[in-house]
Amino acid sequence: MTADLVMLTITRVESLHLADLVGQFAELLADTDAAADPAVARLVPDAYPDDEEAGREFRRATEHELLNRRASDAQRMLAGLAEAGALEPAADARVDDVIDVALDPEAARAWMRTLAAIRLVIASRLGIRTEDDHDEDDPRFGVYDWLGFRLEGLIQAVDGA
Amino acid sequence: MGMMTALADLDIEQDLRHDEEATRTPVWQTVVWNDPVNLMSYVVHVFREYFGFSLEEATRRMLLVHHEGRAVVAEGAREQMELHAQAMHDYGLWATVRRAPR
Repeated sequence: MTADLVMLTITRVESLHLADLVGQFAELLADTDAAADPAVARLVPDAYPDDEEAGREFRRATEHELLNRRASDAQRMLAGLAEAGALEPAADARVDDVIDVALDPEAARAWMRTLAAIRLVIASRLGIRTEDDHDEDDPRFGVYDWLGFRLEGLIQAVDGA
Repeated sequence: MGMMTALADLDIEQDLRHDEEATRTPVWQTVVWNDPVNLMSYVVHVFREYFGFSLEEATRRMLLVHHEGRAVVAEGAREQMELHAQAMHDYGLWATVRRAPR
């Protein structure tokens, strides 16, 4: 069954950074209402921009489930990182240690959705409105680009498998 | 008499047309909108995985989203289009539901 597994190779420092971001994302979801935060609202967009009543109805029917899915995806990703031993601060661990994370198809999908969602949140925080909004001097764009790079790799691994 | 017959036929035809319009289920669409965040490869991946599009078809619709700002990804009953929109939201794509333009 290993044929179905996607192997993701990342450095220990990346995995720690990733876990930190996913943890922050989970906290945001736990603490924040979509109505109060545009970044969370982006995860549950308006399905009826021209029909307020239908939009409210759709939101009532879907928002809770969608945000629960984001939270459970995030927990699944954290569990996967922990399982791969990526989060153990081994005394002799070096930051450039390489870690293999094995993902079954469902886990890989949860990772992709989570990476995509975190990018949406960061983009909202950074005020990214168009594809040209990119500030080389702002280090937060580095995090945003890195997440995109990892997501791209995961897509290629899954679709190429 | 001949004239009366012709008029009666016309009435029936009009009634039929009226009934057809009233009972025809309106067609709804799920529309995916462009955003500056989601990767083009991710959108293609989602279209293939969820809708079962071929790579070519998924790429064609992704490019429509990218260049035209939006693309219709499904057409049918309203409930079904809402399920598709929710599924797109689950992936992080922005989708809306609308009545198909006549």
